[in-house]
Amino acid sequence: MSDTQTVVAEDATEGSPSAQSGLARLVSRMPRAGWGIAIFIALFVIGGLLRPSLFTLPGLISTATFAAILAVASYGQTIAVIQGGIDLSVPNTIAFAALGFLTWNASFGPVIALLLALAGGLVIGIVNGVIVAKVGLTPIVTTIAMNGLLFGVVLLNFPLSELTVVPDLVTSFTSARVDLAGLQIAIVLPMALLLMLLLQAVLSYTGWGRSLFLVGSREDAARLAGQPVARIRISGYALSGLLAAFAGIVIVGYYSQAETTMGNSYLLGSVAAVIVGGASMFGGRGSMVGTFVGALVLGQVATLVAVFNLGATMQNLIYGLIILAVLAAYGRDRT
Amino acid sequence: MSPTTTTIPAPMPRVGPIRSGTRRMRYDGALAPVLAFVVFFGVYLAVNPGLLTRFQLQSAANLIAPLALIALGQLLIVLIGGIDISIGAITSLCNVVFATQIAGLSAPGALLACIAVGVLCGAINGVLVAYVNLPAIAVTLATAFIYAALARQILDRPGGALSSEIYQVTSGELVPFVPIALVWVALIATGLWLFLQRTAFGRQVYGVGSGRAAVQSAGLKPRLTILVTFMVSGGIVSLGAVLLAGSTLTGDPRSGDPYLLNSIAVVALSGAAFAGGRGSILGTVLAAAVLGMVGNLLFFAGINSYWQYVISALIILAVVVIPRVGQFVIQQSALRRGHHE
Repeated sequence: MSDTQTVVAEDATEGSPSAQSGLARLVSRMPRAGWGIAIFIALFVIGGLLRPSLFTLPGLISTATFAAILAVASYGQTIAVIQGGIDLSVPNTIAFAALGFLTWNASFGPVIALLLALAGGLVIGIVNGVIVAKVGLTPIVTTIAMNGLLFGVVLLNFPLSELTVVPDLVTSFTSARVDLAGLQIAIVLPMALLLMLLLQAVLSYTGWGRSLFLVGSREDAARLAGQPVARIRISGYALSGLLAAFAGIVIVGYYSQAETTMGNSYLLGSVAAVIVGGASMFGGRGSMVGTFVGALVLGQVATLVAVFNLGATMQNLIYGLIILAVLAAYGRDRT
Repeated sequence: MSPTTTTIPAPMPRVGPIRSGTRRMRYDGALAPVLAFVVFFGVYLAVNPGLLTRFQLQSAANLIAPLALIALGQLLIVLIGGIDISIGAITSLCNVVFATQIAGLSAPGALLACIAVGVLCGAINGVLVAYVNLPAIAVTLATAFIYAALARQILDRPGGALSSEIYQVTSGELVPFVPIALVWVALIATGLWLFLQRTAFGRQVYGVGSGRAAVQSAGLKPRLTILVTFMVSGGIVSLGAVLLAGSTLTGDPRSGDPYLLNSIAVVALSGAAFAGGRGSILGTVLAAAVLGMVGNLLFFAGINSYWQYVISALIILAVVVIPRVGQFVIQQSALRRGHHE
């Protein structure tokens, strides 16, 4: 998809470095997640000025907890976007893992259920990856078809009546409270941050992570360099599916409820977090830290909207405008 | 071809309109969905011959028509190498505009307002994609949030002031056994076909999708083409929203939600290339008919209707994947033959 949007460079007004002012050079060198952090700080300060009760550590933590869950659901999307694709099967992978986990928990116990749910996500990702990389179908079509398929599987297989009990194993890494410097924090927040650091390390410091970026930005170059492009893509989608399944378990653990449409808000939400975090939809650019920051920005908007009682309408409007602002700041690469 | 030798192309052998039409359809990937449609409706009629009765024909038409029009809107964006994530939100917005404005303005006025909103939504997407150089998928993701917010602002729960006359005009019968929704789809699809295949501007739409640089080098304006394509797409989606409002007789700010993924699924089944430049209108309409009717078929076959999601996905995979696998096998065997000789 990226090649067709490459434009003849008629307006690439890239001035010589010396012509740029110092400030412009500083801005252009700012890491992309920095923009998200700047927006977040701006929103946080605005909220604090209007309503001082928001300008406190507990206020920050409640926003960050909401953001942590969105971030966990968006980590897999980040990997799909970095390799130049997209994963639109996230919503029903979440639903599949969550409902599957609760159903299997009833018969096999929590450990096996957890493993089965994660394995399910892995298989979903591998199938996506094989169809994209080996058959050559567009990622959008592949993952939409997978999303539809999973919706049917979920509706057909998981009875909904008995799905209320969440085992301690899962609450221990989601909704359990920990005491941190006198503050009560849901453990999902440090868990999401830890996962972010782990995945960021994989992306930045392993050969696999670096080749994922190469495949995303220049597939032909990766092939010429002898990279096993298909294998990298398949493993990328496999990790993406695994993370989406994990997100499903985290969501069910934190909110202790599950239903067939529980993943729907993460269809656009996960892509939004990834874009606000500075990833390029053309592929080859993106980071886990950025995605977490993107989720923080969206979470802060949700907090402000809830506090000032503006309604879901205003929340969606602001989401859209923030995405456009972020795109305008650095969405125009390769043109 | 070195630049010094000039090759005079041999004149193309003249072919009849049917041959050239088939060739065109094969290029656009429409043969597989046409075949799928024939097989599907064969099965459907075998399971449920009652489809051809008046009532069932009409309700089937009302199920297919909005999906077909909205998918045609998506097809236009796919032709220029983009994708429209905001298409469901545009549908919702046009739907509530039509349903609410019909109270104040008369029906033609509401129709015009609805089309204007659709074209405007498309124009905003188009300007951002063509002139600000942002990727279509990201732009339409942002505007999807905005348009959906506006739809909910106009009408926050199902309602509106639609009357049964609107139902007659959008979803009734023209003459017995001719559902008017199909007539509207046929008219709009034919108009779109004439626009794409018989006007110079329409050919540019295909040109931008298959080789934007070449279109630009030819002295044409690809940016303008992209903008106009987005506007035409928005207009067609707004008409789909009107048919949707007419057949359900309610304006609903969430009515467009399912059409985001469904319109992309229909375009995938139509055999269009998501890289742009290839896609067939006939294929899209027939693909909409197939995917729109899977649930009904299962109902009449006495199968749990939840299976429709699984079967729809498998139909898409089968129709899109089998030709590719076939191609691959032919290629491999040709390679092997070449190796042995």
